[in-house]
Formats: sequence, structure tokens, C-alpha cells
Amino acid sequence: MSNKALAAGLGNCPQCHKLNVMHAEKQACSRCLTVFSTRKPKSLEYTLAWTIAALVMFIPANIYPMMVFYTLGKPDASTILEGIAIFIQMGMLPVAIIIFIASFVVPLSKIMGLFTLMYNAKRKTKLTLKQQDKLYHVVEFLGPWSMLDVFVVTVMAAVVNLGFLTSIEVASGITYFTLMVVFTIFAAESFDPRLLWDNHQKHHHRATKTNQEYNNKGEQ
Amino acid sequence: MRNNSVVNHMIACNQCDSLLPKPILSEGQDALCGCCGAMLFSKKKDAINRTIAVAIAGLVLFFPAALLPIIGISAAGLFNDASLIDCITILINSKNYVIAFAVFMFTLAIPSVRLITALYISSCIKFHRVKPSLLVFFRSYHLLDTWTMVHVFFMGVIVSMYKLSSLADMTIDGGLFSLVLLLICSTLVSVTMDEHSIWEELEKSLEQ
Repeated sequence: MSNKALAAGLGNCPQCHKLNVMHAEKQACSRCLTVFSTRKPKSLEYTLAWTIAALVMFIPANIYPMMVFYTLGKPDASTILEGIAIFIQMGMLPVAIIIFIASFVVPLSKIMGLFTLMYNAKRKTKLTLKQQDKLYHVVEFLGPWSMLDVFVVTVMAAVVNLGFLTSIEVASGITYFTLMVVFTIFAAESFDPRLLWDNHQKHHHRATKTNQEYNNKGEQ
Repeated sequence: MRNNSVVNHMIACNQCDSLLPKPILSEGQDALCGCCGAMLFSKKKDAINRTIAVAIAGLVLFFPAALLPIIGISAAGLFNDASLIDCITILINSKNYVIAFAVFMFTLAIPSVRLITALYISSCIKFHRVKPSLLVFFRSYHLLDTWTMVHVFFMGVIVSMYKLSSLADMTIDGGLFSLVLLLICSTLVSVTMDEHSIWEELEKSLEQ
């Protein structure tokens, strides 16, 4: 199990996947010249910062209205949750469920997932490696899909533009929502999945008391 | 010298960092990590020619997809339709610069730069004109992969069509068809592009 590139003094280039002999903490890849480290430097710190930023943006994204609906000149602004309530009142339950999942449950669970991943990379947890791995892939996959709501509002605002009769205008909530999505993508990008495996191995080694190798690494 | 042969005949998993011997694949095979099961690399059939074809098609389709109206609605004798460019100009006019920038980048700028990059690299390799600048291009291609959101925009159009269908009469225009075809091309590029072989090709040519 200790057959890791890090222990052998080798590092994988994150861009072109070329295996490099590591001479320093940070060096340029011999093939594509990208400067990289064996593990993303300060990965957890960056991930934590981006995730907190995303969580902060989640609050105004839900307080401010996403779009303003004008019928005969009368404005009607609605936030994400109000919009869902309107759909339920109109009896369109399937649409309400889809919107609720896409624009409320998914962003929130993505932020929660990132916190779980960070905890898993640091402490010993009950989740198996396979589950952690799956979680990482789900968070990574969901990244672009959270933009769905932004695109829907954009298209609606552009198309529904019949002057005095009906028109839709974009409101400030969507800006915060966009920023939140971009921040979570940055968070997922800065997370290094190899930390999960390192951490697993560290705890595994502790159990069999052969962590001398790691202690030496720490002292250097 | 020993180190050099190790580096060229081994591969490390990008997900769990396991060190593995590099397998030699025949066309159409994938190499998976034995420790965590992540995809290491794959060898694809006729990758260069297919990538050139798909990238040219995608770049041509960008113009109708961006300029032709996607959907339109009519109610009480009034009619309005909008293209992708209209979406962005309306956002700018209503001073929503952040979203306008995001929509422009994720649906137009980044996907088109990605296709141009794929086309440029593949044609350079096909006509044996490998230059050091290709390294920069190919690195940026990897970087842009996450930020291409044509597929999400297309889903957004579908969802808004569903919402609008209860509101007014709706028409579908050429922009939507071009968008579907563009989406197919943009996705196919990542399927046909053989990143591992291209990197090895670049390395071999630049060493000489």
C-alpha cells in the first residue's frame, strides 16, 4: 500500500500527467513546463476560504429576488424560495421540486460536501475511502450544473420582453448566486483528492505503528 | 540514468498517487488505476483527424448558435425572440455586469477558445509542425475544460421553454438547432481528443 509516488521522490504533473523526479518542493514539469508541487500547496486552506466565501454568498442569493416579473406594468419580485412557493400554489409540483433541488438543495449540499471532504482529509472518519472518492467526484461534477438557474433566468429575461404587457427583469439575487457557483467551483478545483488517500494511509500506518517514515518527513 | 527510465516507464495516478508501471495500450483501450479505479489514460482511434473535423464543425456552428434567435414568444399580437447575444446585451443594458460576463465567458468565449486550441494543436501535429508554443496552448486547453458550460446553457433553455409554455405561445428558431449541434461538437472534441498521445507526441518532437 505504500507504493506512492510521493514516497519514491516522484511527482505527477497535474496538467500533462507526466511523472517527474522531484528535485525541489516546487519545480517545472520536464514535458509541459507547468510549475507544480507533489501536492497542491495549501490545498485545504484555499478550499476552506473559497467554501466560506460561497457560503456567505448563499445568504444574499436567497434573500434578494432572482427576477422581477412585470404584468401590465405591475412589478412582482420573487426570491428562489418564493418562486418555489408560487409554483406549488399553481399546482405545478414537479417543476417546484426540480427548481427546489437545482437551486437550493444542490448548492447547499455542495458546500456541505466540501466541508465533509476537508474534514476527511484531516481527521479519521467513518466514511470509507470509496465513499470519500465518490463524494469528491459528485462535488466536482455538480460544479457547472449549478449555473443552470442563472442561464434559465437569463433566457427568460431576454425572451419575455413584450413591453407593457409582460416582461421579466433580472434582479440582484442572481449576481450573488453566480458568484456562489463560481466560488464553489474554485473550492473544488483547489481541493487535492490525494490528501484523502494520504490521510487514510497515515491513520492506517498509525494503527500498525509504522509511521516513522511520516515522522521523518515532518521533521525535514 | 536509472531515474530517467523510471520516469518514462511508470505512471502515477492523479487521484490517489499510486505508482504503477505504464501499460502499452492498443487503440480503443483504457488504462485504469489498480488502487482506486480512476482513469489513467486511454488510446483513441484516429484521434487527430476526428478532432480536426469536429473542431471545424463546432467553430462554424458558433455563428448561427450565437446570432440566430433561440426561442420566441407571442402573446396578444406582440412577438419577441432572443438569441444568445441578445441575452448578453440585455444583461449589460440592465447593468448586471457580473452575470453578463459569466454568461459570455462560459457559453461563448471559453468554448470557442477551447475549440480553436484543439484545432490548432491537432493540425500542427498532423502537418508535423510542432513548436514550443503548442505547450502553452495545450496547457490552456486542460485549464478551460472545467469552464465550458454550453451543455448547462442548453439545459437552461429547455427549462425556460418548459416554464414559458404555460405563459404564452412559443416558437423555436434556428438558434436552438445550432446550439444542439454545437453542443454535440463541443462534447465530441473531449471524446475524440487523445490527450495522452498528444503529450507524448509533443515531448518526442520537441526533444529532437
